[in-house]
Amino acid sequence: MSDHHNTDDSGPAARVKALEALLTEKGLLDPAAIDAIVDTYETRVGPRNGARVVAKAWTDPAYRKRLLADATSAVAELGFAGPQGGHLVAIENTDRIHNLVVCTLCSCYPWPVLGLPPVWYKSFAYRSRAVSDPRGVLEDFGLELPSNVEIRVWDSSAEIRYLVIPQRPKGTSKMSEDELAAIVTRDSMVGVAKVEAPRA
Amino acid sequence: MSENALNELIEAARLDPDHVFSAPWEARAFAIALQLSESGYFTWDAFRDRLIAEVRASDRIRARDGTSAHGEYYDHFLHALEKLLEEKGLAHS
Repeated sequence: MSDHHNTDDSGPAARVKALEALLTEKGLLDPAAIDAIVDTYETRVGPRNGARVVAKAWTDPAYRKRLLADATSAVAELGFAGPQGGHLVAIENTDRIHNLVVCTLCSCYPWPVLGLPPVWYKSFAYRSRAVSDPRGVLEDFGLELPSNVEIRVWDSSAEIRYLVIPQRPKGTSKMSEDELAAIVTRDSMVGVAKVEAPRA
Repeated sequence: MSENALNELIEAARLDPDHVFSAPWEARAFAIALQLSESGYFTWDAFRDRLIAEVRASDRIRARDGTSAHGEYYDHFLHALEKLLEEKGLAHS
């Protein structure tokens, strides 16, 4: 972690410290709860949850159907719920359609299944280009799609968050649900990558 | 914005995929906003509206002059939080 440019009193680190001290003194904040939230979002909530959802959808057709019909309820079945988890919509990649998720306004993202968004997701570069040049953005991520694959861009908002169900890679038919969950990446659930089968 | 600004961020994410905060203060600011909203001092939607306003203002400048000197995401986040607390009268000792 770098903190090099925040050492003076007017820097953000000092402002946050002052804010936390003031709010704690006024009884509005509990510092222990702040620690717990930081720990939760740094280490506990993350894309592993979403990976389990995807792996189950790949292996359980009835679950996949429920997920596509009502993703919020389907992820809650697996125990994943919490702030920014409502109004979740699952969108499925196929041979002809590739889905890409962005939040052009700021950073809307389904926390319970993907954790907090990565730095690039919040960047001006990604937000401004995902809509105008999705194919170029995917190429930046190293993903070149055949020209007959339609790219659909989904703009997240307070009302709707998206979870991409990537395509299950070929050569994974013998893998268990747990093994499959281990190969599903965050990037594939935002739509900037495909899931690769493990090398034999 | 440099031509390959996104490439640099993608490369950084490859090296450290779990990285969501760039400095401890970003995590603290996030947690403060979340806890205050969960305690009912404001709604997350109200906070997000301010965040969007900050991000938009920054985007406009960046689209015009290409600089990011006015800050990155969590700078906007902190500004939004400070403004909201000011509006709610919660920021005075």
